[in-house]
Amino acid sequence: MKQLTLLIFLFFSGVCLSRAAGPDFNSDVLPILSNNCFQCHGPDAKARKAELRLDLREGATRDLGGYRAVSPGKPEESEIISRILSDDSEEIMPPPKVKKQLTASEKEILRQWVASGAEYREHWAFVAPAQAEIPVSPAGRVVKNPIDRFVLARLKNHNLKPSSEATRSTLIRRVSFSLTGLPPTLEESDRFLADNAPGAYDRMVNRYLDSPAYGEHMARHWLDLARYADSNGYQYDTERQQWVWRDWVIDAYNRNKPFDEFTIEQLAGDLLPQASEQQRLATGFNRNHGITIEGGIIDEEYRTEYVMDRVVTTSQVWLAMTMGCARCHDHKYDAISQKEFYQVFHFFNQVPERGANGFAPKQRLASPLAATRKQELENELKRLKEELNKPRNLDALLEKWTSQIAGQPGGGWQILSPKTMDSTGGSTLRKLDDNSILAGGTNPPKDIYEITAGTASGKLTAVRLEALTHETLPGGGPGRHSNSNFVLSEFELTAASARNPSLRKVVKFVKAKADYSQANYEVSKAIDGTVDNPNGWAVDGPTRKKPATAIFIAKAPFGYEGGTLLRFRLRHEGNFGAHGVGRPRLSVTDDPAGSLRLQGIPADIRLIAARNPRDRTSQQAGKLKEYFLKHHNPDRMIKERIATLEKQQTASFPETMIMQDMARPRATHILHRGQYNERGEKVSAGVPAIFPAMRKNHNTRLGFAQWLMDPTHPLTARVAVNRYWQQLFGTGLVKTAEDFGIQGELPSHPALLDWLALEFIRSGWDTKHMYRLILNSATYRQTANVGKAAYRSDPENRLLARGPRMRLDAEEIRDSLLASSGLLVRQLGGKSVYPYQPKGLWMELNNRPGYSKAYPQGKGDDLYRRSLYTFWKRTVPSPMLKTFDAPEREFCTTRRSKTNTPLQALVMLNGTQFVEAARHLAQRMLIEGGETLNERITYGFRLVNARVPGQPELALLRDAYTENLQHYQSNGQAALQLLQVGDSPFNNALNQAKLAAMTSVARLLFNLNESITKG
Amino acid sequence: MHDLFLESRLIENRRQFFGRSTTGIGVAALSSLLGGNLARGEKTGKGGRIGGLEGIPHFAPKAKRVIYLLQSGAPSQVDLLDHKPSLEKLHMQQLPGDIRDGQRLTGMTAGQKSFPMIKSPWKFRQHGQSGTWISDLLPHMAEVVDDICVVRSMHTEAINHDPAVTFFQSGHQQPGRPSIGSWLSYGLGSEAENLPSFVVLLSKNTFHQAQPLYDRLWGSGFLPSRYQGVKFRSQGDPVLYLNDPAGGSSKKRLAMLDRLARLNRIREQEIGDPEITSRIAQYEMAYRMQASVPELADISDEPESTFKLYGEEAKVPGSHAANCLLARRLAERGVRFIQLFHRGWDHHSNVQRYLPTLAKETDQGSAALIADLKRRDMLDETLVIWGGEFGRTVYAQGNPNSFGRDHHPRCFSIWMAGGGIKPGITYGQTDDYCYNVAKDPVHVHDFHATILHCLGIDHERLTHRFQGRDYRLTDVHGKVVRGILS
Repeated sequence: MKQLTLLIFLFFSGVCLSRAAGPDFNSDVLPILSNNCFQCHGPDAKARKAELRLDLREGATRDLGGYRAVSPGKPEESEIISRILSDDSEEIMPPPKVKKQLTASEKEILRQWVASGAEYREHWAFVAPAQAEIPVSPAGRVVKNPIDRFVLARLKNHNLKPSSEATRSTLIRRVSFSLTGLPPTLEESDRFLADNAPGAYDRMVNRYLDSPAYGEHMARHWLDLARYADSNGYQYDTERQQWVWRDWVIDAYNRNKPFDEFTIEQLAGDLLPQASEQQRLATGFNRNHGITIEGGIIDEEYRTEYVMDRVVTTSQVWLAMTMGCARCHDHKYDAISQKEFYQVFHFFNQVPERGANGFAPKQRLASPLAATRKQELENELKRLKEELNKPRNLDALLEKWTSQIAGQPGGGWQILSPKTMDSTGGSTLRKLDDNSILAGGTNPPKDIYEITAGTASGKLTAVRLEALTHETLPGGGPGRHSNSNFVLSEFELTAASARNPSLRKVVKFVKAKADYSQANYEVSKAIDGTVDNPNGWAVDGPTRKKPATAIFIAKAPFGYEGGTLLRFRLRHEGNFGAHGVGRPRLSVTDDPAGSLRLQGIPADIRLIAARNPRDRTSQQAGKLKEYFLKHHNPDRMIKERIATLEKQQTASFPETMIMQDMARPRATHILHRGQYNERGEKVSAGVPAIFPAMRKNHNTRLGFAQWLMDPTHPLTARVAVNRYWQQLFGTGLVKTAEDFGIQGELPSHPALLDWLALEFIRSGWDTKHMYRLILNSATYRQTANVGKAAYRSDPENRLLARGPRMRLDAEEIRDSLLASSGLLVRQLGGKSVYPYQPKGLWMELNNRPGYSKAYPQGKGDDLYRRSLYTFWKRTVPSPMLKTFDAPEREFCTTRRSKTNTPLQALVMLNGTQFVEAARHLAQRMLIEGGETLNERITYGFRLVNARVPGQPELALLRDAYTENLQHYQSNGQAALQLLQVGDSPFNNALNQAKLAAMTSVARLLFNLNESITKG
Repeated sequence: MHDLFLESRLIENRRQFFGRSTTGIGVAALSSLLGGNLARGEKTGKGGRIGGLEGIPHFAPKAKRVIYLLQSGAPSQVDLLDHKPSLEKLHMQQLPGDIRDGQRLTGMTAGQKSFPMIKSPWKFRQHGQSGTWISDLLPHMAEVVDDICVVRSMHTEAINHDPAVTFFQSGHQQPGRPSIGSWLSYGLGSEAENLPSFVVLLSKNTFHQAQPLYDRLWGSGFLPSRYQGVKFRSQGDPVLYLNDPAGGSSKKRLAMLDRLARLNRIREQEIGDPEITSRIAQYEMAYRMQASVPELADISDEPESTFKLYGEEAKVPGSHAANCLLARRLAERGVRFIQLFHRGWDHHSNVQRYLPTLAKETDQGSAALIADLKRRDMLDETLVIWGGEFGRTVYAQGNPNSFGRDHHPRCFSIWMAGGGIKPGITYGQTDDYCYNVAKDPVHVHDFHATILHCLGIDHERLTHRFQGRDYRLTDVHGKVVRGILS
């Protein structure tokens, strides 16, 4: 054991004592020089001290006037060796003020290196990968493909054995999460477990590769790199519509768009010859950076930041280079000069954009997942606009409309002419010409208006109350209170027979609707039989001085043959004194309740329409035409329809940001200290000299993208496959997946990395092929159940002696509970949604009027979509996702941290989404799970963890059920409360105590460490 | 009520996992939330500290913790802390061009044609033995001047809120770097047993034009996310998701956690992954937070004298005074970095109307905090800071009769007190125009270096390797301000 630990230590510390030829430059020497010396003696010319450059051999071995910093083979004559060994604080290197110290073993390595000839070698990552010989596989080892032979060779060097293959149930869960981010369904598990024919594993892998969920899952990883968000970041963090681009990514993965096309379209799709809409949409990638709208900012300062972000992101994603370090000065470690940084900057500096509110250029482009719908909308709009331009015969249309309404059943709203009007509080009620009643005089704290009216109709269905405004009312509003509001605490009606007034009945209303109600003062509160406070209909009079209309629908038609007398009571009796309705007008109708509208065609218009045209007086004809033109003008209706569709189009097919180059190129200058306003030398486009040259006459953004994808490029393929590896194993072959430069870590398996990179190129940049290849390896298929010692000796599994095992990502955790509970809504793409989150989070950070809004929590399906559709607000990310290490997406993120904290426990124990999903899982367990408790628990366990629980586990879960059942049987209220967590209704057919008890079991299942772990 | 039997069994479980560990329940959880990772073999340091980097503190610290009262929006130094008798004569005169000296202005006053200087409408007086000048707007602070150090020579580069507050919080104007609190959690670990080491308190916002805040201001940037600040809220759950769901009886909670631990342990034995051990510990810690956080937030155990000191306002959750009191309670429980955000100082118009309101909202609580810490003998080990992200212009924005003051980066005032800071002094000086620093400038990086120094950290040696570079809070700058150290 001790020996093993030592071996691993040696492997990772990079010290190779066995090599007679001296230490290896790249693995042993360079990290020491880079970490301790290059800051002052490296590529940065301005920072260079004593004109000594140690990153190049000719610099290090240069004659410095009778002595050399490095004298190959002669450490005793090498200044650097005497300086690092010095104990004089004036002499010693690194100097004390830089606060870096070499260890004894580092000093020894440098000494040995000089003694052995001080060989320099090019940094591995800047040399194109070469086809290495695939190692011979050791006898008796399972080898599925060349990956395993590379891994086994390394294991053999360390006297380690690979682990056996994981169980089938582990494998399908691992593969399912790896490729789709979701747990396997029971059907998928059963199918795989029952497939005993050869190739079962490959078939299973292919099924997941073909699943639309694959594209969603892969896109989700890409979104971190692309710093995708649904908000603009910075101070006000307003909404943006880049989800259309996000849909492009999902679609591209599902189509398995080759990585070269995937790259070129995202970086420069707009510059491709005859660029398609989708190719332009792809370029949204480099518009995902934050954009500020803060007042008073300086435009150019922020425009410069946006371009910087593009350079930094692009170089990190495709080159794993920290180009940003060369923004202010030459790179301290990698040989990238400040000038070269601005040469690359030039490619991305051509967008016709601004710093403040810099959202242009934008274009209305369809999500590839919704192209058909967009086309349909466009066609319909085109048709309507043509229709609008057609000449029309209005008189003919009027006649047609007239005959239509004349033939319709029902008389519309009949405005009542009040007979008597009384106020119990002493207000003056006066009838106006339009049959409305204007209140005036004293304004008593409590008041009831009693109004009578008659109608010839005998089969009424509903009453309408218009609360009109009037100039004599306070503020010209609809209410009597000085704040213009009213609170109608109750609205009552008694109907009596006109023939025999002793025949009477109180009319019961079952439904009320209004065109406007104040929050918590809904119109239904005016017919709920109580005047308790706060209880009644109000209309935000203080801020909204407008009329409002309510209709009250009777439980059953009412009235009497031969005419009906109506006696209304408008009660104002809440605690809010003096809140009378200012100018009520009452109407009734006999239209069927289902067809009622707040504003129907007035009864007098209907009466005119019903007459024979020849019998209409000219006054009546005029009134009819006036009404028709005001309310039913076809132009107006078409315009309204166009407005509706355009609104729909804006919402579903918004303008989204894309890349574009200006017609006249913007000049790019070196910016001193990276400051937007400190311009230096003008530069032209280009790439750093440490990389292969670009093709001549291709120095555009498109040329840059094509240069990245050149098969001879040393970085692009390696960087991409390394990220695939990181995604599947938790750590990349190069651990610093974002930095392949000199300060990055060396690959654990260099030959394997190169082989994979070349295979990727050979396959035509076939991403699915690469996933299939790695997933098919015996390396990936190893078990992770290997015992404590193995975890302790290689915590990050860098030697790959076991299968991958890691905590699920934030999105996978939420998605998996939605999936296993059956709540998951599998809709692909579309506008981002707002699932549950604790109240008040947005407003507590920003409540500035006009710049803020409360979190608009969604309803129904929107609560159960996959997490990559959750609205990503940069300044207030989803607290659930954030707790599980989701980044803020302010910038490109290559690796997420994976922490393990008590806050995570709290989310999983108490979050609404978790508790509600547990109830749904419990419902499935009770309904689908079988008859016995064991069967039901096993069913739920399999849904979550894709395996059958062991007996001890089953026993514990059974106890949990029994104990909770007792608890909830004697605490019915608690059971009901638990079942009501979340928006979805609970299944009423189930016994509440049982469902609550099973919900508790399901909560346990979701909280298992296993449930949030893959592997 | 806790079930003692089950609790003892939980402890039993823990013992089995942590072997000879004697540092108390939840240590692994804490270590994971706040510092290192016990499961991976990191050690707890001296004095029961959990997590943190080896070798830090670099030297004996003066302060154990920080309470930072951040005044977002930028308070007006010339009306609060920077007494300028010279303005009596200069009042309503144009700011001389050579004083502005090409200073870039925000888009809000860049187009303004006239820059009349406006003296403070409020009187300044000297207070205490130190004779520190304080505006009449801060009567309570006037009573504690002998315990604070006013720094009048702060300056920054940023001229707009977002970059400026981001700069103060993280040492960089663009988002993406770790906040001060997360640097400290990372470097120093935690001494709080049942609470996070970095807690954020937001005061309720009353000023309608207040600047927004953002989660990243207390984020961990490229440090692991466990170092980010945890928001204690005055509405809803005090810590997000802290409360049990409705109907999920707290009586059952312990039994549930016990079963969960046992189920996880079965897997732990089969697989051997130490992450499982750590996960079990997280649930224990969560359980303890469910008790410790409400206990912390429940101020009913405070004597009446507390409310005399902080004012009745301290009984209103989310008020500045209530948060100052909470800050003291957090400090008592060993929380390392407590940051209070108070918004509303951004007075582009009508300074005379708005500034007294904001001063009143914050004055008593801040002063009470100093006095309270002092009487509890905690002030000398707690560094208290009050200040905004920049200052405000001496010249009027808009109409001089209803004048506002625009953003001003070149000079502004803050105060610091307690652990490591010399009390009763005024440091630095601005010119007669209150436009430029005349003596002893303190840059934001210097301010950061000084905070770290008070906590025993050499700001050049608290670093984290990210993307090939060793980053630090002070970037490549920063000088400790020796003149204000005790």
